[in-house]
Amino acid sequence: MKLVNKKVIGVLLVFVMVIALAGCGDKTENATEVPEVGTVEGTETNTGGATEEATIAFICADMGNPSQAYASSLFEAYAKDYNLKAVIFNAAGDAQLEASSVQQAIAQGVAAIYVNPNDINAILPALQEAKDAGIIVGMFSSDVPVGSEDLRDFFVGVDDNQAGVEAANAFIANFPNGAKIVEVGGQAGHDAQIKRHGAFEPVISNSNIEVLGSQACDQWSTDQALAIMDDFIVKYGDQIEGVFCHWDGGLTGVIQALDAAGMDTKGMFLVGIDGSQSGVQQVKDGTQDLTIGQDFLAMSKKSLELTRDVLDGKTVTAQNFIPLMLVTPETIDDFTFPEW
Amino acid sequence: MTRQIRLGSVFNTLLKEYTIVIGIMVLVLITSIVEPRFMTSGNMINIMRQFGPLILVALGMTFVILAGFIDLSVTGQLFLVAVIVMKLIDPIGQIPAMLVGVAFGGLFGYFNSKVIIFSGALTQAEALFITYGLSTAYIGIGQMISNGKTMNMSIDLTSSYSMFQYVGLGFIGPFSISFVIFLVAIVILYFFQSKTYMGRSVMLTGGNKTAARIAGIPIYRSITIVYMICGIMTAIGAIVFMSRATTVTSAMSIGLETDVILAVVLGGTYLGGGRGSVLRTIIGALIVILISNCMNLLGITIFWQDITRGAILIIAIWLDAQKNN
Repeated sequence: MKLVNKKVIGVLLVFVMVIALAGCGDKTENATEVPEVGTVEGTETNTGGATEEATIAFICADMGNPSQAYASSLFEAYAKDYNLKAVIFNAAGDAQLEASSVQQAIAQGVAAIYVNPNDINAILPALQEAKDAGIIVGMFSSDVPVGSEDLRDFFVGVDDNQAGVEAANAFIANFPNGAKIVEVGGQAGHDAQIKRHGAFEPVISNSNIEVLGSQACDQWSTDQALAIMDDFIVKYGDQIEGVFCHWDGGLTGVIQALDAAGMDTKGMFLVGIDGSQSGVQQVKDGTQDLTIGQDFLAMSKKSLELTRDVLDGKTVTAQNFIPLMLVTPETIDDFTFPEW
Repeated sequence: MTRQIRLGSVFNTLLKEYTIVIGIMVLVLITSIVEPRFMTSGNMINIMRQFGPLILVALGMTFVILAGFIDLSVTGQLFLVAVIVMKLIDPIGQIPAMLVGVAFGGLFGYFNSKVIIFSGALTQAEALFITYGLSTAYIGIGQMISNGKTMNMSIDLTSSYSMFQYVGLGFIGPFSISFVIFLVAIVILYFFQSKTYMGRSVMLTGGNKTAARIAGIPIYRSITIVYMICGIMTAIGAIVFMSRATTVTSAMSIGLETDVILAVVLGGTYLGGGRGSVLRTIIGALIVILISNCMNLLGITIFWQDITRGAILIIAIWLDAQKNN
């Protein structure tokens, strides 16, 4: 048994060494390409404008998040329309892994990176490295902090602050005489969760709507949203007239908790964010009243279009907000059913 | 004087043995004073529902820890089984899909054990890293099958999922279905642990592997069996999880392994293996559920909840080590 183990370990070590050596060889080649591809002056000659295909990298915050997996698939599908080729990196929800993914993309000599950051502050040194290497930097979905705008060429995304405001306004419009609601937050500490809650809170607190309780989750997990709603139901019971959940998948859990408690979801006002399949279906079924949708197709295409423009030497707008979609039972027919 | 010393010693032992239980009782007391709804039947049902999925996985983990190992792959296994079951509901029906899911759980457990045995990773630390790697792989496979999308029963299924709704929301008498599944599982697993040769072999393997081997205990078979039990229980947990939420995403089980290990250790099963019981894990799981239930009712933020859970795990392991030293 021991002899077999040693043989297996020996073979594995040789295999790892061969891969490492091959990898080293690739890196040497790519490393020489970086300044040629990356520099703004060099891009026109190197990519040959629209005639030569350039490689771009989408650094996905976490492929486990369905919206980001969908965005990744869109980059892969539509890159060729802009004479680009997309490679995808998965940061798996880890800010450190995301920074090293940026470095890996730099080493691979990509022309542009789009970063969907796990932590907008932790990613800044890696963005600086990309800028130093002359790579086009696009921020996707979440922008860099105020004051660090020079580290990116452009930002494309929805305004999560606006999403929070829209949610608050929806409650105010639906309950002109006031109401009592609860808030189930997204992943605590995530940029989207912070902005959605941060923008929702001041607007709602200036109205006659009382937020009975607000609790964030550890992850964007339906089950956690369900457990929090279970506890809210115990604590506030029939006082709850509406629920704001930071994402549609979480609202699915909220609806399950309300069903389990025998509460009528159709008599309540339920608002989610995302415009995902779950949200749109729930609006269609009448169990959700509003989903504030993100148009990932428009976001991905806009990112690719801006990259092509920069590669072709054009000046682009730095901050590009894609309008939010407000999907309600009245407007649902205006939207195509989402793919994620 | 002697009597005083003895009383002091007994008090110290009790304090050491039950520090966490006393702490939780204080938390429960504070919660029931601050939030009278804590003691209502609605909250008891709520606790019972939340108890189901966690305890099922924790019971399986108890055997792995009893044998002196650990299984961090429960996170990945749970997600992958849920994806497989979801994909099979339309083509083969609800109950066959559940059964195939449970069979896959056993298969993943078998695979885990063979990887551990083949790689010669016979310490808990080695098993920890191997099963962590396997968990990542299982999540990757699950995401590949689901194309990274959230799978939602009401959208992705064309056939009925009433059986899952029954498992998620149904009751038999005063007990939720997940609680009934737990009762059946605990009876079988307790019988296995205390009344069968293999159950006792698991304990001996965890106590001292070398001595167990010399005594003729089939330790490799014990390892295979504990990982298979853990896989099967994780698969049953997956079915209960997905029945409750009616959706499947990789985020559904993130952090589960921490809560599961916390439940086993808080219950009093020795992390080093060889001592403990599935019955004790029930108390551990109840404590884990009560912590988040009480803190949610008290309006304590998720950050403090995480800090508390982490601190309790450290204290539990420290006390465990003190006791065994």
